[in-house]
Amino acid sequence: MLKTKNVAYWYDKKEHKLFDNVNLEFKEGKLYAIIGSSGSGKTTFLSLLGGLDKPRAGTIEFQGVPLSKIGLTNYRNHDVSMVFQSYNLFPYMSALENILTAMAITKAEHVHDKDYVFEVLEKIGINKEMAKKKVGRLSGGQQQRVAIARTMCCDAKLVVADEPTGNLDEQNTFEVLDLFKAVAHEQNKCVIIVTHESMVAQRCDQQIELKNNEFLIK
Amino acid sequence: MNFFYRAFLNVKGKKGRTILLILVLSAILLFVLAGIIIQNAATTAVNNAKKSSGATVTLSANRSNAFKKLRQQKSKNPTLSLASVSVKTAKKIGNSDYVKAYNITNSTSVNAKSFDAIKTSSSSQSNQMSGPGGKSSSSSSSQGDISLSGVTSTSQVSSFTSGTSKIKSGRGINASDAGTNNVVIETELAKQNSISVGDTITVKDTDKNIHKFKVVGIYKSSSTSSQTGGMGQTDPSNTIYSSYALVNSIKGTTSAESVTYTISNPSKAAAFITAAKKSINTSKLSLTKDDSTYRSLLTPLNNVKSFAQKIVILVSVAGTIILTLIVVLMIRERRYEIGVLLSLGEKRWKVIAQFFAEMVMIMVVSIAVAGAGGKFVGDAVGKQLVNQTTTTTSTTTNTTTGNSQNGQPGGGGAQMANNGGGGQQQSTQASSQQLQKLSTSISVVSLVQLGAFGLAIILLAILIGSIGILRLQPKKILIS
Repeated sequence: MLKTKNVAYWYDKKEHKLFDNVNLEFKEGKLYAIIGSSGSGKTTFLSLLGGLDKPRAGTIEFQGVPLSKIGLTNYRNHDVSMVFQSYNLFPYMSALENILTAMAITKAEHVHDKDYVFEVLEKIGINKEMAKKKVGRLSGGQQQRVAIARTMCCDAKLVVADEPTGNLDEQNTFEVLDLFKAVAHEQNKCVIIVTHESMVAQRCDQQIELKNNEFLIK
Repeated sequence: MNFFYRAFLNVKGKKGRTILLILVLSAILLFVLAGIIIQNAATTAVNNAKKSSGATVTLSANRSNAFKKLRQQKSKNPTLSLASVSVKTAKKIGNSDYVKAYNITNSTSVNAKSFDAIKTSSSSQSNQMSGPGGKSSSSSSSQGDISLSGVTSTSQVSSFTSGTSKIKSGRGINASDAGTNNVVIETELAKQNSISVGDTITVKDTDKNIHKFKVVGIYKSSSTSSQTGGMGQTDPSNTIYSSYALVNSIKGTTSAESVTYTISNPSKAAAFITAAKKSINTSKLSLTKDDSTYRSLLTPLNNVKSFAQKIVILVSVAGTIILTLIVVLMIRERRYEIGVLLSLGEKRWKVIAQFFAEMVMIMVVSIAVAGAGGKFVGDAVGKQLVNQTTTTTSTTTNTTTGNSQNGQPGGGGAQMANNGGGGQQQSTQASSQQLQKLSTSISVVSLVQLGAFGLAIILLAILIGSIGILRLQPKKILIS
């Protein structure tokens, strides 16, 4: 589904590469974990997969088409959904409005279908009453669930998440991971999580470690 | 139109910020509206001035040509020969569509017989004011002591229209007085000789013929000018108004000295002159335009209009700068939100459109607030402007009036002197009245204009403030 071909990235000087010659393949229906120490470049790699940036060398292909051909804005709009450590929700909107807005932007199949959104939210433990509250009034765990529900309601086949459990306690961490698993297995989506917690990585289908500028499949 | 819905949610969700923006935008629009309504009021007043003030065109002898001919005469004692206007021609021209009204004027001098003329100490004649019933010492003079001013209607004489002269009892002369011996005399002359409305007075013309006049009205002249007119009379109270036909019968002529046409639209004065020239011999007669009233109104109104225009421009520029700074700050504060939208694949122009839509929603409320307050600000600023401009105009006009006390160029006799003196006063008075009428009301047009200005201000502010959005990289915002 998603392939990296000889991908390399550096910031200022070509000699100081974060990673080089990366050839990885990510398949739908699986939950991946990219682990590595802080500053190793795993978040930068995720931003390349999410279409937030372009690799300095090599190509990334989605369903066999290079992202440069799809166009990054188009790719982000239709093919990928992102979840971040700080949830990335619009604070002035309710959970329901947040999801409906994202669905409208990405032109999801169930756009404007409130019942569908309530149903998805209900599945991940957010009831109607909570769904109508401004997201700022929800707990961190609840906000992250809303962010995951947003990826579930949008039709993107690829979900990338940067430290999605970074702000959560242990119980919420496991619950959120279960939700990601459900997204991957039940919705047949490809979910890629970046984390520095080995405990989180161990619960994923496959672990990829970024160490000494190289990706190692575990 | 998803950005529109997001804009609505943002405006609704961030109430505090929305209220602050409404207040800022209302303040800006309030002053823009004040400028617009003053500007519109000034434009309306200029248009009204065009209609109400009118211009006059005087048909009289072509003096410059007459003087040219005088200089060409080879005789030892050359005489100036001034043509007169045939009443028939005057009436024919007066039937033009451009003409609102016309006044045929004629004058002659007669000597008081059954009463005494008023004499002033500056008179060249030695005797002072004669007592009632006494014989005038100047009765034998070739120049009479009474100026008989023939008109179509006293209501069209400039001293009456300006308020310098007013009918105190009886009535003025009008068109129906043609063919009668009805006259209107000055109140001081009437008091001096115990004459009242309905009395008959007698005068002697220069050919020593006696004429009986019936007094139908008494007017009061507030003119202080006592300069000697061409006929030798010494005081404005010695002016008697009659029908021009009566003067003609005394003079034994069928023509007039001059005819003043009041043009309904000052801008058509030139067209009227062109048309009227076809009916006259331009080497003998000339047509002189006088639109000083209109022009004296135009200057202060144009000043008000120009000042209002400056208010609109200044406030718009200042408003755009203020709003741009606010938008820049707002965008900096909402960088994260922009990053999220871009990460969802939202197009940058739609993000900018969302901010624009938010400001438009705020503007709609602000226009209502400004509309409610604009009338008061417009009234206050307009009043201040009018007061200032009227004072300036009065000062300027008084100076001009002082300079033109000796009558209009080309005019001769007491009546012309009156016309000359009254013309500027009339202008000032009309100007002042027109300015006081400056109506600063809010119309739909002014609100639409305000909306257009508001949209332009917002558009500029958003475009300038959004330059940063075009440079924003979602990765930098979200990952950092």
